[in-house]
Amino acid sequence: MLKKFYSLIESVGNFAVKRVESAGRLGFFLSQIIARLWMFRFPLNETIKQIHFIGARTLPLILLSGLFTGMVVALQFYDTLVRFGSVELLGAAVAMSLIRELGPVMAALMVIARVGSATCAEIGIMRNEQQFDALDCMAIDSYHYIMLPRLVAALISVPLLTALFDVFGIGGGYIVGVLSQGISDGAYLTGMSDAIVWHDVFMGLVKSLAFGGVIIWISMAKGFYLHIEQKQVGAEGVSQATTQAVVLSAILMLFVDYFVSSIML
Amino acid sequence: MTVASSIIEVNNLVSHYGDRQILKNVDFSVEQGEIRVIMGGSGSGKSTLLNHLLALLSPTSGTINVDNIDITSANRKTLTALRQKMGVAFQGGALFSSMTVGENIKLPLKHHTKLDDNTIDIMARLKLELMNLSGFEDLMPSELSGGMLKRAGLARAVIMDPKILFFDEPSAGLDPVTSVELDELILKLRDAMNMTIVVVTHELESAFKIADKITVLFDGEVAITGTVDEIKNSTDVRIQNLINRRPREENVDAEKYMQRLTTGRN
Amino acid sequence: MTFPQCTHLHYQCLQLNGEVDLHNSPQVRKQLLNILKKNQSVLVDFSELSYIDSSGIATLVEAFNIAKNKELTLTIVAASGAPLQVLELTHLDKVFTLVNSMADIKE
Repeated sequence: MLKKFYSLIESVGNFAVKRVESAGRLGFFLSQIIARLWMFRFPLNETIKQIHFIGARTLPLILLSGLFTGMVVALQFYDTLVRFGSVELLGAAVAMSLIRELGPVMAALMVIARVGSATCAEIGIMRNEQQFDALDCMAIDSYHYIMLPRLVAALISVPLLTALFDVFGIGGGYIVGVLSQGISDGAYLTGMSDAIVWHDVFMGLVKSLAFGGVIIWISMAKGFYLHIEQKQVGAEGVSQATTQAVVLSAILMLFVDYFVSSIML
Repeated sequence: MTVASSIIEVNNLVSHYGDRQILKNVDFSVEQGEIRVIMGGSGSGKSTLLNHLLALLSPTSGTINVDNIDITSANRKTLTALRQKMGVAFQGGALFSSMTVGENIKLPLKHHTKLDDNTIDIMARLKLELMNLSGFEDLMPSELSGGMLKRAGLARAVIMDPKILFFDEPSAGLDPVTSVELDELILKLRDAMNMTIVVVTHELESAFKIADKITVLFDGEVAITGTVDEIKNSTDVRIQNLINRRPREENVDAEKYMQRLTTGRN
Repeated sequence: MTFPQCTHLHYQCLQLNGEVDLHNSPQVRKQLLNILKKNQSVLVDFSELSYIDSSGIATLVEAFNIAKNKELTLTIVAASGAPLQVLELTHLDKVFTLVNSMADIKE
């Protein structure tokens, strides 16, 4: 009986220790990348390639999801506002919810789905095929050459993608509100520009920066430490790591969302 | 202080993975221009030993001197300079999938030297020719077969004419003809460039053909280091088993065997 | 640190003394290309050369090609030991014109 009790404590302890170790590794990983920011010879070429991969190629997805999100938000708000006779507020309502909250969060989720999973898999496969060992043996700093370009590219791309998401969302709201439901376009647009202040935009920007950083950091780290953290190596391990990366990025992103909102609102 | 003639000198190397001890007091030295083959069964620790020589792992205790530098305590700058004199050919080639074969091979040169692009291009093609891969420089790694990937990885490993070349399982996955060609290449590289070559392999024929000396590991310990003849004439049972490819002796307990077969339990 | 040059008949000769590796092969390249730019055929003297690496060989390949295109010649004189082995390993002993000594250059 006592034995079972002890083994229960042991497994709880084990679990906790593993989580703390994992968190420690994540922190160490991030600190190593940031330390490379001040190194000579910034990897411009690689960064531009990553901006293309993270930013440009996610654009179609952002366009579509932004459009539909904006349309849904407009529909929902219209339904409520019409009951209070305040449909002129539609523009403001759609814009505010997109810029302050939905834009950053939804764009981040799209980025997690497309970029987070692909990056984690790419880094994980590199780990499996000993490519990081090869870089070390060639005295090429993998943090500087592989990780840093991806981090910087994410910090540049994700805010831009978020902004475009907002634009397409507002456009979607316009389609629903003005074209479909017949609100005056002037009311939609001026209502929006009256209600939005720099602080709203700034908050959206801060969030998108934080989200971009978190997503790429977690995705790369999970792939990088695949040989330590996953139970199996090879394709199985990559698949497990990718799943964990996506889940952890999403949860951490929502946590950061609450954190930033509570500070800035 | 030991005589500085050994280009690799390992003393009392002890290595752990977590709580498990992998290498037990390994002593090992390689002379310049020597071709040394490291052999051993799975779990013997040969890959771990290789990783230590490459400074990819830190030992629990012991020293490792490569080209008169103690890599266990060297700073980053010293290690970087040393690594440019070492080439490593990994098992699967370890090429980067987002670059062409040519770009992969040129990578160390682009990173570490200020040579003219023309010079770098010709150097890469010289190595490709040596590996029988001429004309493949614009292909992507995904378009290459396993054997070609290995040769491309080797081309990258020798692009800077390293002093020491490390080879992880060169023959694995190669057809016998290519394997023999690779052996010939290893011998040529040593003769023309005075390269010291360390090969980790389990292929006996290759080992006997190219090795000046063979180090055999069993369970994390060095069983013997000797010339091909010394190995062949060794009285150690394990070594004879390895050479003659005899499986380990199994004592069959009839009853227990039946039980395992019929119930799946020990 | 330049490599010594001299003239032999109507050729410019470049003496590669000591070792040619990653560090000084750009200098060799500079000198060779300079000579060829002045439309002179070149003799590369290997007699005092103890070691040449791939960057040096690549430089010679480039220069040889330029010479050929300009209808000039690039000849290697007195290759032996390790440098000769490298030329054989790369099959360039069948491409370059190799000559045993300066005395063999008559015109």
